[in-house]
Amino acid sequence: MTDTPPLIDEAAPPKDAVPAAAFGIRGQTQFGDIRRRFFRNKLAVIGLTMVGLVFLLAVFAPLVAPDDPQAQNLSLTARPPSAAHWFGTDELGRDQLSRVIYGSRIAIVVGLASIVLALVLGVILGSIAGYRGGKADSVIMRTADAFFAFPLLIGAILIILVTGRGVVPVILSIGIFTWAVPARLLRSSILSVREAEYVEAARSLGASKWRIVTRHVLPNSLAPVLVYGMVSVGTAIVAETALSFLGVGVKPNVADWGNMISAGRAFFGFKDYLWEIPSLAVVFTVLGFVFVGDGLRDALDPRLR
Amino acid sequence: MRRPPRSVRLAATVAVLATLFAACSSGGNDKAKDQQGSTTGAAKQGGVFRLGIVEPTAIDPYNSQESEGILVTKELFTGLVQIDNATAQIKPGVADKWSHNNDCTEWTFNLHPGTTFSNGEPVDANAFIRGMTRAAKQSAASDVAYHMAGIAGYNDIHGTGDANSKATATTFSGLSAPDANTLQVKLSAADCEFDKKTLQPVMSPVPASAGEASNKAFNDMPIGNGPFKMKEPWHHDQSITLVRNDSYFGDKAHLDEVDLTIQPSQDALEAEYKGLQSGQYDYARIPPALIPQAKTVYEPKGGFVHKLSYGINYLLVNVVNPPLNKADARKAISLAIDRQAIIDGVFSGLQTKATSIIPPPLKDFYTANVCDTCDKPDVTKAKQLAAGAGLTPGTKVSLAFNTGGGHEAWVQAVQQQLEKNLGLKVDLQPSPFAELLTKEKANNASGLFRAAWSADYPSAENFLFPLLSQKSLPPGDNRGRYVNKQFDDLLAQARTTADESQRASLIKQAEKIAIGDDMALIPMWYRDQYRAFDSAKWTGVDIDFFENPTLASISLK
Amino acid sequence: MGRYVVRRLLQMVLVLFGASIILFVSLFVLPGDPIGTAAGERSRDPAVRAVLEKRYDLDKPLPVQYLHYVGRVVRGDFGESYRLRRPVSAYLRTRFGATARLALGAIVLEILIGMTAGVVAAVLRYSFWDVLVTLTTTLAIGVPTYVGGSILQGIFAQKFHIFPRQGGSGSWNLRYLFLPALTLASVDAALVARLMRGTMLESLRADYVRTAVAKGLSKRVVILKHVMRNSVIPVITYVGIAFGGLLGGALITETIFNWPGIGLALYTAISTQDNPVIIAVVTYGVGAFVIVNLIVDLTYAYLDPRIRLE
Repeated sequence: MTDTPPLIDEAAPPKDAVPAAAFGIRGQTQFGDIRRRFFRNKLAVIGLTMVGLVFLLAVFAPLVAPDDPQAQNLSLTARPPSAAHWFGTDELGRDQLSRVIYGSRIAIVVGLASIVLALVLGVILGSIAGYRGGKADSVIMRTADAFFAFPLLIGAILIILVTGRGVVPVILSIGIFTWAVPARLLRSSILSVREAEYVEAARSLGASKWRIVTRHVLPNSLAPVLVYGMVSVGTAIVAETALSFLGVGVKPNVADWGNMISAGRAFFGFKDYLWEIPSLAVVFTVLGFVFVGDGLRDALDPRLR
Repeated sequence: MRRPPRSVRLAATVAVLATLFAACSSGGNDKAKDQQGSTTGAAKQGGVFRLGIVEPTAIDPYNSQESEGILVTKELFTGLVQIDNATAQIKPGVADKWSHNNDCTEWTFNLHPGTTFSNGEPVDANAFIRGMTRAAKQSAASDVAYHMAGIAGYNDIHGTGDANSKATATTFSGLSAPDANTLQVKLSAADCEFDKKTLQPVMSPVPASAGEASNKAFNDMPIGNGPFKMKEPWHHDQSITLVRNDSYFGDKAHLDEVDLTIQPSQDALEAEYKGLQSGQYDYARIPPALIPQAKTVYEPKGGFVHKLSYGINYLLVNVVNPPLNKADARKAISLAIDRQAIIDGVFSGLQTKATSIIPPPLKDFYTANVCDTCDKPDVTKAKQLAAGAGLTPGTKVSLAFNTGGGHEAWVQAVQQQLEKNLGLKVDLQPSPFAELLTKEKANNASGLFRAAWSADYPSAENFLFPLLSQKSLPPGDNRGRYVNKQFDDLLAQARTTADESQRASLIKQAEKIAIGDDMALIPMWYRDQYRAFDSAKWTGVDIDFFENPTLASISLK
Repeated sequence: MGRYVVRRLLQMVLVLFGASIILFVSLFVLPGDPIGTAAGERSRDPAVRAVLEKRYDLDKPLPVQYLHYVGRVVRGDFGESYRLRRPVSAYLRTRFGATARLALGAIVLEILIGMTAGVVAAVLRYSFWDVLVTLTTTLAIGVPTYVGGSILQGIFAQKFHIFPRQGGSGSWNLRYLFLPALTLASVDAALVARLMRGTMLESLRADYVRTAVAKGLSKRVVILKHVMRNSVIPVITYVGIAFGGLLGGALITETIFNWPGIGLALYTAISTQDNPVIIAVVTYGVGAFVIVNLIVDLTYAYLDPRIRLE
């Protein structure tokens, strides 16, 4: 919905999914199964490598980047790629390669933090809604509806106008307007698992509500949420760059892919490398997360392979 | 024969549909049909000139304020005076001649007899009184009525914003018409440049059918006495169409029609320029990044216009609160900025660095290098001045600017220069425009703010008074809160000096105090205007005082 | 069912009220003086400001303002835009029309492209087509809209002049509509394709399919008649939700293609603190989405009797 890819992949897990837990008795076997299936999937492995590469760049940026990403050189502005500057220089003469490398930091931090925030909020509220039902469910779901309806970009802009620009406001805004989806996912997941036989069995054996929730219901409902989370890191990164593009993201001098694309857009058509290179970085990272997410989903539910 | 699989059939359908989409001709680009002008005569008659603008706030003269609005209003209405594009001097408009009394408190305008609005109503002194009264009324809430603030009786009809003041008058007491073609204006204080102020659209004549300012019909389709008239009402967010007014009393326009396409304000410059390139428009502004390219493409063909306009880009400084409340601190900042490097690097050398606040086009009033710290950077001297003024390394200075204006790049360059040369910690603060203004006016405002100013009429006083005079303190536009009695006295004296050269010397002295000595504002660069147009088809294209195209003189080649 | 609908409608009204109150309050919190500036970087004349303050109720306490506002809204008057000094409702009506056309165009493309691709990928599993679809859809999700849109614009409008670059005044003119609709549709089309593929794969494995094939029905017929119909439900759900969201305005697409829609109006309003416009658009957007959501839920329940309506 709207321009930012909706942070939703599947509408709901298949309704008659038999939770893997019903088959596996010992946790380790199940885990090993999943891991094996994941690594057998070529695309998933490629994705993991891509994500890993971006991670390494983010962590070791000062060591890998050839120049200070903030060092301007007004006599060398907007130069195409050359031996001295492999990715060329931007409109203030800064080295693009270094800025792309440092940009990975913002991407990873914002991508992960915002989705973690969304997942935490979503899981807590979704499990309350799913497990307790009734009034709590109604209230939470209608609130989720309202947040779901609110276009992510607009909501983020409003929040950032109040708080000011920066990394933390961006993380908060993306998280706040994303929690609704994992909440919904978790709730429907819980609803379907809640009635499963093994839960009945556990309850009849006298297990407490808390034990049922944490030991049985949650682990099996979390799978689709985790898959969603992994894919959504990618789309959260895109959302962050969109916010920078609209001029409400991180501060303008920060080395950030969204800032670079936004600044490069003025040169569209005759100095395309200025926006092409950071765009490739975004696409590369997002693809990595999507492949991993797909792989995770296939590994967790082998019936879909 | 087996039918192709369903998926392929679906794909084929999509492909066919897509081709159909492309084939449907909207005719939008074909609108400008070449019309045969006459082969005799100096300029060909005819043609439809197309350009893009952003939706104006108003085209009705009572509230026409920004350049888009003024563009339309000035084609629909001609006021008492006009401006000669080449000499920047005021020349007769509807007024054939005018005079003032000895102390410039009373002005008399003699109107050309027998001129009419496009609906036949007469353009006489009463028409002017009608237009000015209509805009000045409190209920009109006009944002441009303040240009008439010097006329006697203004406060009675406009109000002052004070809870106690009641704007009870319905007539503008300072205006009178001793006879049909004589307009007399009494001012509440002497102003020897009042004639220049009448250039503003708000002082246009209006027909009786205009009614009050709230008359929506007239707001959307004003009826005026200018070289063009409205073909149809303003289609909000879509278009404004003008056609030649054949009953115009002055030099008639050559174009048959002007099509103004209204486009969203996001990326307006880019949309205009790409529109020109694709043949949708005949004229366009140019996005700064593309000016060098536009120059190489359009200049050889004669379709490139470059003019210095009556404006200035500068850094507003709050002179009341630390850290920049000492003149030496401000001079240090100015010396630490390498304007030429920024112009060369960010603007491809296409802007002109400013060494004064009054720009070069105001030839008689302009002093080069009145700002002696603007021409070249001098890091050593800057450091000295900074140390003396308490602007020590590590001091936090904020640099605020408005987003969406393409300022991100040069602002970052200034930040880096100040950090490198003076060791300051510059805090960049981007914000939407309305918020920027609030920040500037706040009581604890401090530091630097990106700002720009464009003249309302060709007068040097129009730079100094609104930006630096004590009378212009907030809620006025003197948001840096500069106050200097000597400066104000010089300005007041200049206002009452009828002799141009004497006035010029007073103005120059005033500028020397405010800029040269006190560095109340930090000039950055002037306003170089660049336009491109389709020179294969059109001639007579130039930029006027308001930075708009000279539609009345454009003709087919 | 009837009681459920009534309950949902009441909840919707509550949501709308809640959203508008939150908006009202947060706009009050924002720094800046919405009526303090005139166009062209000038401060507003204090006399004019005083008049406008009175006219826009800004001198009254916030709860009173809200009550007046609701009273006017009920009569269809959404106030006057601070920036344009024109009635908001007239201004937004044209913008809404433009966005609605864009959204419809996008939905049509989404369904056509997405479902076709999904079906192809599911039926021709592991073939070249399947892989192509998977890769293309992943790319469509990964490439940000403003990049994808700019590229489409660059290639089809600027280089090859097949389509105009911008404009179209939001009308039904297909030449102007196609590129922005395609840009807007691309991400959702990708997700629809993936969803379609997933649900079809699941249905293809179902017992009743094997039974039907065993009984002698051709695979083609089975797919067309049974599998697709059952797989379509989640897709329709998703498309419905997407449509509701699209109605909320596609900000970036409208920016790139200069499409005079609601999204762009909202963005401009936020940048200029044009509060009446902001409140009107956001409330309408939330309302549109919630209504569409309700319709989708009801349709879903109607189509699939297995779903319980809590």
